[in-house]
Amino acid sequence: MSIQLENVNYIYGESSGQEKWALKNINLTLHDNEFVGIVGHTGSGKSTLTQLLNGLEKPSSGQILYNGQDIQAEGFSKKELRRKAGLVFQYPEHQLFEVSVIKDVEFGPRNLGLTNLEVEKRSFDALKQVGISDELLDVAPFALSGGQKRRVAIAGVLAMQPEVLILDEPTAGLDPAGRTEILELLQRLHRENNISVILVSHSMDDVARYAERILVMNQGELVLDGAPEKVFRYRKELREIGLDVPQSANILYELRDRGMDVDTNGITPEQAAQNIADYLRRQS
Amino acid sequence: MIRDITIGQYYQGESLIHKLDPRLKVVGVLVYLISLFCFRYVIGFLVAGLFFVLVLKLSKVPFRYVIKGLKPILFLLVFTAALNLLWTPGETIWRFGILNLTKEGIYKCIFMALRLILLIIGSSLLTLTTTPNQLTDAMEYLLGPFKRFGAPVHEVAMMMSIALRFIPILLEETDKIMKAQMSRGADFESGNLMHRLRNMIPLLVPLFVSATRRANELAYAMDARCYNGGAGRTKMKPLKYHSRDYKGYGVLVVYLVLLIVVTRTVAI
Repeated sequence: MSIQLENVNYIYGESSGQEKWALKNINLTLHDNEFVGIVGHTGSGKSTLTQLLNGLEKPSSGQILYNGQDIQAEGFSKKELRRKAGLVFQYPEHQLFEVSVIKDVEFGPRNLGLTNLEVEKRSFDALKQVGISDELLDVAPFALSGGQKRRVAIAGVLAMQPEVLILDEPTAGLDPAGRTEILELLQRLHRENNISVILVSHSMDDVARYAERILVMNQGELVLDGAPEKVFRYRKELREIGLDVPQSANILYELRDRGMDVDTNGITPEQAAQNIADYLRRQS
Repeated sequence: MIRDITIGQYYQGESLIHKLDPRLKVVGVLVYLISLFCFRYVIGFLVAGLFFVLVLKLSKVPFRYVIKGLKPILFLLVFTAALNLLWTPGETIWRFGILNLTKEGIYKCIFMALRLILLIIGSSLLTLTTTPNQLTDAMEYLLGPFKRFGAPVHEVAMMMSIALRFIPILLEETDKIMKAQMSRGADFESGNLMHRLRNMIPLLVPLFVSATRRANELAYAMDARCYNGGAGRTKMKPLKYHSRDYKGYGVLVVYLVLLIVVTRTVAI
Protein backbone atom coordinates (compact mmCIF):
# COMPACT_ATOMS: atom_id res chain seq x y z
CA MET A 1 0.00 0.00 0.00
CA SER A 2 1.22 3.46 -0.81
CA ILE A 3 -0.66 6.70 -1.30
CA GLN A 4 0.91 9.41 -3.36
CA LEU A 5 -0.34 12.98 -3.68
CA GLU A 6 0.99 15.08 -6.52
CA ASN A 7 0.40 18.84 -6.66
CA VAL A 8 -2.97 18.46 -4.99
CA ASN A 9 -5.09 21.59 -4.60
CA TYR A 10 -8.54 21.86 -3.12
CA ILE A 11 -10.68 24.95 -3.45
CA TYR A 12 -14.01 25.53 -1.70
CA GLY A 13 -16.97 27.48 -2.98
CA GLU A 14 -15.80 28.01 -6.54
CA SER A 15 -19.40 28.15 -7.70
CA SER A 16 -20.51 30.86 -5.26
CA GLY A 17 -17.59 33.15 -5.99
CA GLN A 18 -16.28 33.12 -2.44
CA GLU A 19 -13.24 30.96 -3.03
CA LYS A 20 -11.23 29.47 -0.23
CA TRP A 21 -8.13 27.37 -0.65
CA ALA A 22 -8.41 24.42 1.70
CA LEU A 23 -5.29 22.73 0.33
CA LYS A 24 -2.41 24.30 -1.54
CA ASN A 25 -0.06 22.26 -3.65
CA ILE A 26 0.33 19.18 -1.48
CA ASN A 27 3.05 16.72 -2.47
CA LEU A 28 3.27 13.71 -0.27
CA THR A 29 3.89 9.98 -0.21
CA LEU A 30 2.43 7.78 2.50
CA HIS A 31 4.23 4.45 2.69
CA ASP A 32 3.18 0.98 3.66
CA ASN A 33 2.81 0.21 7.34
CA GLU A 34 3.48 3.69 8.67
CA PHE A 35 2.01 5.41 11.72
CA VAL A 36 1.57 8.96 10.50
CA GLY A 37 0.30 11.87 12.55
CA ILE A 38 -1.21 14.87 10.80
CA VAL A 39 -1.19 17.91 13.05
CA GLY A 40 -2.70 21.31 12.42
CA HIS A 41 -5.22 23.83 13.65
CA THR A 42 -8.90 23.96 12.79
CA GLY A 43 -9.10 25.07 9.20
CA SER A 44 -5.59 23.95 8.34
CA GLY A 45 -6.97 21.51 5.79
CA LYS A 46 -6.23 18.30 7.62
CA SER A 47 -9.80 16.99 7.53
CA THR A 48 -10.12 17.80 3.84
CA LEU A 49 -6.92 15.88 3.25
CA THR A 50 -8.35 12.74 4.89
CA GLN A 51 -11.45 12.94 2.72
CA LEU A 52 -9.35 13.19 -0.42
CA LEU A 53 -7.44 10.07 0.56
CA ASN A 54 -10.48 7.80 0.33
CA GLY A 55 -12.12 9.56 -2.58
CA LEU A 56 -14.99 11.27 -0.75
CA GLU A 57 -13.83 14.60 -2.09
CA LYS A 58 -12.21 15.28 -5.43
CA PRO A 59 -9.12 17.47 -5.65
CA SER A 60 -9.63 20.67 -7.65
CA SER A 61 -6.37 19.88 -9.39
CA GLY A 62 -3.55 17.40 -8.98
CA GLN A 63 -3.43 13.66 -8.71
CA ILE A 64 -3.83 11.08 -5.98
CA LEU A 65 -2.32 7.68 -6.64
CA TYR A 66 -3.20 4.60 -4.65
CA ASN A 67 -0.59 1.91 -5.27
CA GLY A 68 0.38 3.86 -8.36
CA GLN A 69 -3.18 4.03 -9.74
CA ASP A 70 -4.98 7.33 -10.21
CA ILE A 71 -8.07 7.19 -7.98
CA GLN A 72 -10.01 9.63 -10.18
CA ALA A 73 -9.40 7.53 -13.29
CA GLU A 74 -12.40 5.95 -14.96
CA GLY A 75 -12.94 2.39 -13.87
CA PHE A 76 -11.15 2.83 -10.59
CA SER A 77 -13.52 1.47 -7.96
CA LYS A 78 -14.21 4.07 -5.27
CA LYS A 79 -15.96 1.44 -3.21
CA GLU A 80 -12.87 -0.73 -3.21
CA LEU A 81 -10.74 2.29 -2.33
CA ARG A 82 -12.97 3.10 0.64
CA ARG A 83 -12.63 -0.46 1.86
CA LYS A 84 -8.84 -0.34 1.62
CA ALA A 85 -8.49 3.16 3.04
CA GLY A 86 -10.90 3.05 5.98
CA LEU A 87 -11.87 6.46 7.32
CA VAL A 88 -13.24 6.96 10.84
CA PHE A 89 -14.94 10.31 11.32
CA GLN A 90 -14.61 12.55 14.34
CA TYR A 91 -18.00 11.95 15.87
CA PRO A 92 -19.16 8.35 16.22
CA GLU A 93 -22.72 9.76 16.39
CA HIS A 94 -22.41 10.38 12.67
CA GLN A 95 -22.29 6.73 11.81
CA LEU A 96 -23.98 4.70 14.56
CA PHE A 97 -27.54 3.93 13.57
CA GLU A 98 -28.40 0.29 14.21
CA VAL A 99 -30.33 -1.23 17.10
CA SER A 100 -27.34 -3.06 18.52
CA VAL A 101 -23.58 -2.72 18.60
CA ILE A 102 -22.90 -5.90 16.67
CA LYS A 103 -25.42 -5.04 13.94
CA ASP A 104 -23.88 -1.63 13.52
CA VAL A 105 -20.40 -3.07 13.06
CA GLU A 106 -21.82 -5.55 10.54
CA PHE A 107 -23.02 -2.70 8.29
CA GLY A 108 -19.63 -2.19 6.65
CA PRO A 109 -18.72 -5.79 5.84
CA ARG A 110 -22.31 -6.49 4.73
CA ASN A 111 -21.99 -3.71 2.17
CA LEU A 112 -18.99 -5.58 0.78
CA GLY A 113 -21.32 -8.43 -0.17
CA LEU A 114 -19.69 -11.05 2.04
CA THR A 115 -21.42 -14.19 3.29
CA ASN A 116 -23.28 -14.02 6.61
CA LEU A 117 -20.71 -16.17 8.30
CA GLU A 118 -17.84 -14.00 7.11
CA VAL A 119 -19.68 -10.82 8.10
CA GLU A 120 -20.32 -12.07 11.61
CA LYS A 121 -16.82 -13.40 12.04
CA ARG A 122 -15.21 -10.15 10.96
CA SER A 123 -17.50 -8.08 13.15
CA PHE A 124 -16.85 -10.18 16.25
CA ASP A 125 -13.12 -10.06 15.60
CA ALA A 126 -13.16 -6.31 15.09
CA LEU A 127 -15.10 -5.72 18.30
CA LYS A 128 -12.74 -7.98 20.19
CA GLN A 129 -9.76 -6.09 18.80
CA VAL A 130 -11.08 -2.75 20.00
CA GLY A 131 -11.84 -4.25 23.41
CA ILE A 132 -15.65 -4.22 23.45
CA SER A 133 -16.74 -7.00 25.77
CA ASP A 134 -19.35 -9.63 24.84
CA GLU A 135 -22.10 -8.30 27.04
CA LEU A 136 -22.13 -5.03 25.09
CA LEU A 137 -22.79 -6.68 21.73
CA ASP A 138 -26.57 -6.44 21.98
CA VAL A 139 -26.71 -3.05 23.65
CA ALA A 140 -27.97 -0.08 21.60
CA PRO A 141 -24.96 1.93 20.44
CA PHE A 142 -26.55 5.17 21.67
CA ALA A 143 -26.47 3.86 25.25
CA LEU A 144 -22.68 3.51 25.29
CA SER A 145 -20.20 5.92 26.82
CA GLY A 146 -18.23 8.32 24.63
CA GLY A 147 -15.10 6.19 24.58
CA GLN A 148 -17.07 3.01 23.89
CA LYS A 149 -18.94 4.64 21.01
CA ARG A 150 -15.68 5.66 19.49
CA ARG A 151 -14.30 2.16 19.76
CA VAL A 152 -17.43 0.73 18.15
CA ALA A 153 -17.08 3.25 15.34
CA ILE A 154 -13.47 2.17 14.81
CA ALA A 155 -14.56 -1.48 14.85
CA GLY A 156 -17.14 -0.65 12.17
CA VAL A 157 -14.37 0.39 9.83
CA LEU A 158 -11.91 -2.24 11.02
CA ALA A 159 -14.38 -5.01 10.15
CA MET A 160 -13.91 -4.08 6.50
CA GLN A 161 -10.25 -5.05 6.93
CA PRO A 162 -8.65 -1.90 5.55
CA GLU A 163 -5.00 -1.62 4.59
CA VAL A 164 -4.82 1.84 6.04
CA LEU A 165 -6.89 3.24 8.88
CA ILE A 166 -7.46 6.99 8.75
CA LEU A 167 -8.87 8.66 11.87
CA ASP A 168 -10.08 12.25 12.13
CA GLU A 169 -9.59 13.53 15.69
CA PRO A 170 -10.40 10.21 17.34
CA THR A 171 -9.63 11.54 20.82
CA ALA A 172 -11.64 14.77 20.75
CA GLY A 173 -13.93 15.10 23.73
CA LEU A 174 -12.50 12.14 25.63
CA ASP A 175 -11.02 12.27 29.12
CA PRO A 176 -7.26 11.55 29.48
CA ALA A 177 -7.86 7.88 30.29
CA GLY A 178 -10.16 7.40 27.30
CA ARG A 179 -7.68 9.22 25.10
CA THR A 180 -4.78 6.97 26.10
CA GLU A 181 -6.97 3.93 25.60
CA ILE A 182 -7.81 4.87 22.01
CA LEU A 183 -4.23 5.79 21.16
CA GLU A 184 -2.87 2.56 22.67
CA LEU A 185 -5.47 0.68 20.66
CA LEU A 186 -4.29 2.31 17.44
CA GLN A 187 -0.71 1.49 18.23
CA ARG A 188 -1.61 -2.14 18.90
CA LEU A 189 -3.54 -2.38 15.63
CA HIS A 190 -0.59 -0.89 13.81
CA ARG A 191 1.90 -3.33 15.33
CA GLU A 192 -0.13 -6.51 15.44
CA ASN A 193 -2.16 -6.24 12.25
CA ASN A 194 0.49 -4.45 10.22
CA ILE A 195 -1.95 -1.78 9.04
CA SER A 196 -0.97 1.79 8.37
CA VAL A 197 -2.52 4.35 10.66
CA ILE A 198 -3.05 7.98 9.74
CA LEU A 199 -4.01 9.92 12.83
CA VAL A 200 -5.33 13.46 12.45
CA SER A 201 -5.19 15.65 15.52
CA HIS A 202 -4.72 19.22 16.68
CA SER A 203 -2.78 18.06 19.70
CA MET A 204 0.92 17.51 19.25
CA ASP A 205 1.05 15.64 22.57
CA ASP A 206 -1.34 12.97 21.26
CA VAL A 207 0.52 12.43 18.07
CA ALA A 208 4.11 12.74 19.26
CA ARG A 209 4.17 9.65 21.40
CA TYR A 210 2.77 7.23 18.85
CA ALA A 211 3.48 8.49 15.35
CA GLU A 212 6.60 7.50 13.47
CA ARG A 213 6.20 10.44 11.16
CA ILE A 214 4.54 13.79 11.66
CA LEU A 215 3.03 16.04 9.02
CA VAL A 216 2.35 19.60 10.10
CA MET A 217 -0.32 21.52 8.21
CA ASN A 218 -0.93 25.23 8.28
CA GLN A 219 -3.52 27.13 6.25
CA GLY A 220 -3.76 24.44 3.62
CA GLU A 221 -0.05 23.93 3.23
CA LEU A 222 2.18 21.10 4.33
CA VAL A 223 4.87 22.92 6.31
CA LEU A 224 6.81 20.13 8.03
CA ASP A 225 7.21 16.43 7.32
CA GLY A 226 9.47 14.06 9.21
CA ALA A 227 10.17 11.94 12.26
CA PRO A 228 8.95 13.51 15.53
CA GLU A 229 12.45 14.35 16.79
CA LYS A 230 13.18 16.03 13.50
CA VAL A 231 9.95 18.02 13.48
CA PHE A 232 10.41 19.23 17.06
CA ARG A 233 13.65 20.89 16.13
CA TYR A 234 11.54 23.54 14.46
CA ARG A 235 10.18 24.63 17.78
CA LYS A 236 10.09 28.30 16.89
CA GLU A 237 8.34 27.77 13.56
CA LEU A 238 5.79 25.53 15.24
CA ARG A 239 5.10 28.13 17.88
CA GLU A 240 4.59 30.76 15.22
CA ILE A 241 1.72 28.79 13.72
CA GLY A 242 0.32 28.20 17.19
CA LEU A 243 1.42 24.62 17.75
CA ASP A 244 3.45 23.46 20.71
CA VAL A 245 5.95 20.66 20.90
CA PRO A 246 5.08 18.06 23.56
CA GLN A 247 5.68 19.29 27.08
CA SER A 248 8.52 16.88 27.81
CA ALA A 249 10.39 17.82 24.65
CA ASN A 250 9.75 21.44 25.49
CA ILE A 251 11.41 21.10 28.90
CA LEU A 252 14.48 19.49 27.33
CA TYR A 253 14.79 22.29 24.79
CA GLU A 254 14.37 24.96 27.47
CA LEU A 255 17.09 23.32 29.58
CA ARG A 256 19.35 23.21 26.56
CA ASP A 257 18.69 26.89 25.88
CA ARG A 258 19.75 27.68 29.41
CA GLY A 259 23.09 26.01 29.00
CA MET A 260 22.49 22.41 30.08
CA ASP A 261 23.76 19.98 27.50
CA VAL A 262 20.87 17.48 27.65
CA ASP A 263 19.85 15.18 24.82
CA THR A 264 16.73 16.82 23.37
CA ASN A 265 15.40 13.61 21.78
CA GLY A 266 12.73 12.89 24.33
CA ILE A 267 9.04 12.80 23.59
CA THR A 268 7.61 10.95 26.55
CA PRO A 269 8.06 12.09 30.15
CA GLU A 270 9.99 8.89 30.83
CA GLN A 271 12.46 9.60 28.05
CA ALA A 272 12.85 13.18 29.15
CA ALA A 273 13.51 12.14 32.73
CA GLN A 274 16.08 9.63 31.50
CA ASN A 275 17.84 12.27 29.42
CA ILE A 276 18.04 14.66 32.35
CA ALA A 277 19.30 11.89 34.62
CA ASP A 278 21.97 11.02 32.07
CA TYR A 279 23.05 14.62 31.92
CA LEU A 280 23.26 14.95 35.70
CA ARG A 281 25.26 11.73 35.90
CA ARG A 282 27.70 13.07 33.33
CA GLN A 283 28.06 16.24 35.36
CA SER A 284 28.94 14.57 38.62
CA MET B 1 -21.80 18.00 -2.41
CA ILE B 2 -24.73 19.18 -0.32
CA ARG B 3 -23.09 22.49 0.46
CA ASP B 4 -24.29 23.91 -2.83
CA ILE B 5 -27.94 23.93 -1.81
CA THR B 6 -29.13 27.49 -1.27
CA ILE B 7 -32.34 27.97 0.67
CA GLY B 8 -33.13 31.51 1.68
CA GLN B 9 -29.46 32.24 1.45
CA TYR B 10 -28.03 35.44 2.82
CA TYR B 11 -25.40 37.34 0.86
CA GLN B 12 -23.02 39.03 3.28
CA GLY B 13 -22.78 42.70 2.45
CA GLU B 14 -22.60 46.25 3.76
CA SER B 15 -24.79 47.97 1.19
CA LEU B 16 -27.56 50.48 1.74
CA ILE B 17 -30.15 47.78 1.03
CA HIS B 18 -28.58 45.50 3.64
CA LYS B 19 -28.83 48.26 6.21
CA LEU B 20 -32.45 49.17 5.56
CA ASP B 21 -35.00 48.30 8.20
CA PRO B 22 -36.27 44.76 7.58
CA ARG B 23 -39.87 45.95 8.00
CA LEU B 24 -39.41 48.32 5.08
CA LYS B 25 -37.93 45.49 3.02
CA VAL B 26 -40.75 43.06 3.82
CA VAL B 27 -43.40 45.68 3.07
CA GLY B 28 -41.48 46.76 -0.01
CA VAL B 29 -41.28 43.25 -1.41
CA LEU B 30 -44.98 42.64 -0.70
CA VAL B 31 -45.94 45.87 -2.46
CA TYR B 32 -43.61 45.06 -5.33
CA LEU B 33 -45.03 41.56 -5.78
CA ILE B 34 -48.60 42.85 -5.74
CA SER B 35 -47.69 45.65 -8.13
CA LEU B 36 -46.62 43.05 -10.68
CA PHE B 37 -50.25 41.95 -10.92
CA CYS B 38 -51.69 45.44 -11.30
CA PHE B 39 -51.03 46.19 -14.97
CA ARG B 40 -51.99 44.64 -18.27
CA TYR B 41 -49.35 45.99 -20.62
CA VAL B 42 -45.76 44.92 -21.11
CA ILE B 43 -44.60 48.51 -20.61
CA GLY B 44 -45.22 48.00 -16.89
CA PHE B 45 -42.33 45.58 -16.78
CA LEU B 46 -40.02 48.32 -17.97
CA VAL B 47 -40.83 50.32 -14.85
CA ALA B 48 -40.82 47.27 -12.54
CA GLY B 49 -37.62 45.95 -14.14
CA LEU B 50 -35.83 49.28 -13.82
CA PHE B 51 -36.87 49.50 -10.19
CA PHE B 52 -35.48 46.02 -9.61
CA VAL B 53 -32.18 46.87 -11.32
CA LEU B 54 -31.89 50.02 -9.20
CA VAL B 55 -32.36 48.07 -5.96
CA LEU B 56 -30.02 45.32 -7.18
CA LYS B 57 -27.27 47.81 -7.98
CA LEU B 58 -27.69 49.45 -4.58
CA SER B 59 -27.54 46.06 -2.84
CA LYS B 60 -24.25 45.12 -4.59
CA VAL B 61 -25.41 41.50 -4.85
CA PRO B 62 -23.91 39.96 -8.02
CA PHE B 63 -26.56 39.40 -10.69
CA ARG B 64 -25.65 35.74 -11.23
CA TYR B 65 -26.41 35.14 -7.56
CA VAL B 66 -29.97 36.30 -8.08
CA ILE B 67 -30.30 34.32 -11.30
CA LYS B 68 -29.29 31.15 -9.48
CA GLY B 69 -32.56 31.41 -7.56
CA LEU B 70 -34.44 30.84 -10.83
CA LYS B 71 -33.04 27.36 -11.34
CA PRO B 72 -35.62 25.49 -9.23
CA ILE B 73 -38.55 27.09 -11.07
CA LEU B 74 -37.04 26.73 -14.53
CA PHE B 75 -39.41 23.88 -15.34
CA LEU B 76 -42.46 25.82 -14.17
CA LEU B 77 -41.31 28.82 -16.16
CA VAL B 78 -40.89 26.91 -19.41
CA PHE B 79 -44.17 25.06 -18.83
CA THR B 80 -46.19 28.25 -18.25
CA ALA B 81 -44.57 30.00 -21.17
CA ALA B 82 -45.29 27.10 -23.54
CA LEU B 83 -48.85 26.76 -22.32
CA ASN B 84 -49.56 30.45 -22.91
CA LEU B 85 -47.72 30.44 -26.21
CA LEU B 86 -49.64 27.58 -27.79
CA TRP B 87 -53.14 27.68 -26.31
CA THR B 88 -54.12 31.33 -26.33
CA PRO B 89 -57.04 32.02 -28.67
CA GLY B 90 -56.65 34.87 -31.13
CA GLU B 91 -55.14 35.77 -34.49
CA THR B 92 -53.47 32.56 -35.71
CA ILE B 93 -49.93 32.71 -37.07
CA TRP B 94 -49.16 29.00 -37.22
CA ARG B 95 -51.21 25.93 -36.57
CA PHE B 96 -50.38 22.27 -35.91
CA GLY B 97 -53.13 19.99 -34.63
CA ILE B 98 -54.34 21.36 -31.31
CA LEU B 99 -51.32 23.66 -31.07
CA ASN B 100 -52.30 27.16 -32.05
CA LEU B 101 -49.66 29.87 -32.17
CA THR B 102 -51.28 33.27 -32.03
CA LYS B 103 -50.15 36.89 -31.82
CA GLU B 104 -51.90 37.21 -28.48
CA GLY B 105 -50.17 34.01 -27.37
CA ILE B 106 -46.70 35.39 -28.02
CA TYR B 107 -47.59 38.55 -26.14
CA LYS B 108 -49.04 36.65 -23.20
CA CYS B 109 -46.12 34.24 -23.10
CA ILE B 110 -43.60 37.05 -22.77
CA PHE B 111 -45.88 38.75 -20.27
CA MET B 112 -46.24 35.71 -17.99
CA ALA B 113 -42.56 34.78 -18.19
CA LEU B 114 -41.45 38.29 -17.25
CA ARG B 115 -43.92 38.38 -14.38
CA LEU B 116 -42.76 35.04 -12.99
CA ILE B 117 -39.08 35.96 -13.28
CA LEU B 118 -39.57 39.30 -11.54
CA LEU B 119 -41.66 37.63 -8.83
CA ILE B 120 -38.89 35.20 -8.02
CA ILE B 121 -35.85 37.44 -8.31
CA GLY B 122 -37.68 40.26 -6.56
CA SER B 123 -38.43 38.15 -3.50
CA SER B 124 -35.02 36.47 -3.52
CA LEU B 125 -33.47 39.91 -3.17
CA LEU B 126 -35.19 40.14 0.21
CA THR B 127 -33.65 36.95 1.59
CA LEU B 128 -30.29 37.75 0.03
CA THR B 129 -30.00 41.07 1.84
CA THR B 130 -31.80 40.28 5.10
CA THR B 131 -30.62 37.85 7.76
CA PRO B 132 -33.19 35.29 8.91
CA ASN B 133 -33.21 36.91 12.34
CA GLN B 134 -34.04 40.33 10.96
CA LEU B 135 -36.69 38.75 8.81
CA THR B 136 -38.47 37.10 11.71
CA ASP B 137 -38.17 40.29 13.76
CA ALA B 138 -39.92 42.16 10.99
CA MET B 139 -42.58 39.46 10.67
CA GLU B 140 -43.23 39.56 14.38
CA TYR B 141 -43.66 43.31 14.29
CA LEU B 142 -45.83 43.35 11.19
CA LEU B 143 -48.06 40.56 12.51
CA GLY B 144 -48.20 42.27 15.92
CA PRO B 145 -51.82 43.42 15.59
CA PHE B 146 -52.96 39.78 15.48
CA LYS B 147 -51.68 39.30 19.04
CA ARG B 148 -54.80 41.02 20.22
CA PHE B 149 -56.85 38.12 18.89
CA GLY B 150 -54.73 35.66 20.82
CA ALA B 151 -52.52 34.58 17.94
CA PRO B 152 -49.14 33.30 19.23
CA VAL B 153 -47.18 35.68 17.02
CA HIS B 154 -44.03 35.76 19.10
CA GLU B 155 -43.89 31.99 19.45
CA VAL B 156 -44.37 31.43 15.75
CA ALA B 157 -41.69 33.99 14.93
CA MET B 158 -39.31 32.34 17.38
CA MET B 159 -39.98 28.91 15.90
CA MET B 160 -39.36 30.28 12.44
CA SER B 161 -36.04 31.80 13.36
CA ILE B 162 -34.92 28.61 15.10
CA ALA B 163 -35.93 26.53 12.10
CA LEU B 164 -34.09 28.83 9.70
CA ARG B 165 -31.02 28.83 11.90
CA PHE B 166 -30.86 25.04 11.87
CA ILE B 167 -31.08 24.58 8.11
CA PRO B 168 -27.36 25.09 7.38
CA ILE B 169 -26.36 23.12 10.48
CA LEU B 170 -28.46 20.12 9.53
CA LEU B 171 -27.32 20.29 5.92
CA GLU B 172 -23.72 20.16 7.01
CA GLU B 173 -24.51 17.31 9.35
CA THR B 174 -26.24 15.38 6.56
CA ASP B 175 -23.13 15.83 4.45
CA LYS B 176 -20.91 14.45 7.22
CA ILE B 177 -23.16 11.48 7.95
CA MET B 178 -23.38 10.62 4.27
CA LYS B 179 -19.62 10.65 4.04
CA ALA B 180 -19.22 8.57 7.18
CA GLN B 181 -21.61 5.92 5.83
CA MET B 182 -20.11 6.01 2.36
CA SER B 183 -16.79 5.28 4.01
CA ARG B 184 -18.43 2.08 5.26
CA GLY B 185 -19.56 1.17 1.78
CA ALA B 186 -23.06 2.68 1.88
CA ASP B 187 -24.55 3.51 -1.49
CA PHE B 188 -27.03 6.38 -1.80
CA GLU B 189 -27.15 6.65 -5.55
CA SER B 190 -28.07 3.37 -7.23
CA GLY B 191 -30.90 0.82 -7.03
CA ASN B 192 -34.66 1.16 -7.42
CA LEU B 193 -36.91 3.35 -5.30
CA MET B 194 -37.54 0.82 -2.50
CA HIS B 195 -33.88 0.00 -2.37
CA ARG B 196 -32.90 3.62 -2.20
CA LEU B 197 -35.41 4.34 0.56
CA ARG B 198 -33.99 1.49 2.61
CA ASN B 199 -30.49 2.77 2.00
CA MET B 200 -31.53 6.08 3.54
CA ILE B 201 -31.97 4.53 7.00
CA PRO B 202 -28.28 4.75 7.91
CA LEU B 203 -28.47 8.43 7.01
CA LEU B 204 -31.80 9.32 8.61
CA VAL B 205 -31.35 7.63 11.98
CA PRO B 206 -28.18 9.52 12.97
CA LEU B 207 -29.67 12.71 11.54
CA PHE B 208 -32.86 12.46 13.61
CA VAL B 209 -30.92 11.48 16.70
CA SER B 210 -28.68 14.48 16.30
CA ALA B 211 -31.57 16.84 15.54
CA THR B 212 -33.44 15.82 18.69
CA ARG B 213 -30.23 16.08 20.70
CA ARG B 214 -29.64 19.58 19.38
CA ALA B 215 -33.23 20.59 20.05
CA ASN B 216 -32.94 19.26 23.58
CA GLU B 217 -29.71 21.17 24.21
CA LEU B 218 -31.19 24.34 22.80
CA ALA B 219 -34.26 23.98 25.03
CA TYR B 220 -32.01 23.60 28.08
CA ALA B 221 -29.95 26.60 27.04
CA MET B 222 -33.07 28.72 26.59
CA ASP B 223 -34.45 27.52 29.90
CA ALA B 224 -31.17 28.31 31.64
CA ARG B 225 -31.55 31.88 30.40
CA CYS B 226 -35.07 32.00 31.81
CA TYR B 227 -36.79 32.22 28.44
CA ASN B 228 -40.53 32.06 28.93
CA GLY B 229 -42.13 33.31 25.78
CA GLY B 230 -42.99 36.71 24.46
CA ALA B 231 -44.71 38.49 27.33
CA GLY B 232 -42.64 41.33 28.73
CA ARG B 233 -39.64 40.39 26.63
CA THR B 234 -37.54 43.27 25.34
CA LYS B 235 -35.16 43.18 22.43
CA MET B 236 -31.42 43.72 22.44
CA LYS B 237 -31.59 45.38 19.07
CA PRO B 238 -35.08 46.86 18.77
CA LEU B 239 -36.12 47.75 15.26
CA LYS B 240 -35.84 51.49 14.73
CA TYR B 241 -36.62 53.51 11.63
CA HIS B 242 -33.87 55.81 10.42
CA SER B 243 -34.21 58.65 7.94
CA ARG B 244 -33.00 56.33 5.17
CA ASP B 245 -35.97 54.07 5.86
CA TYR B 246 -38.46 56.92 5.47
CA LYS B 247 -36.73 57.80 2.22
CA GLY B 248 -37.07 54.15 1.27
CA TYR B 249 -40.84 54.31 1.82
CA GLY B 250 -40.80 57.48 -0.27
CA VAL B 251 -39.02 55.71 -3.12
CA LEU B 252 -41.58 52.92 -2.91
CA VAL B 253 -44.46 55.38 -3.29
CA VAL B 254 -42.69 57.09 -6.20
CA TYR B 255 -42.31 53.70 -7.87
CA LEU B 256 -46.01 52.93 -7.45
CA VAL B 257 -47.11 56.32 -8.80
CA LEU B 258 -44.74 56.03 -11.74
CA LEU B 259 -46.00 52.54 -12.50
CA ILE B 260 -49.63 53.65 -12.46
CA VAL B 261 -49.00 56.73 -14.58
CA VAL B 262 -46.95 54.88 -17.18
CA THR B 263 -49.29 51.91 -17.53
CA ARG B 264 -52.35 54.19 -17.78
CA THR B 265 -50.90 56.45 -20.45
CA VAL B 266 -48.81 54.13 -22.63
CA ALA B 267 -50.64 51.08 -23.91
CA ILE B 268 -48.07 48.72 -25.38
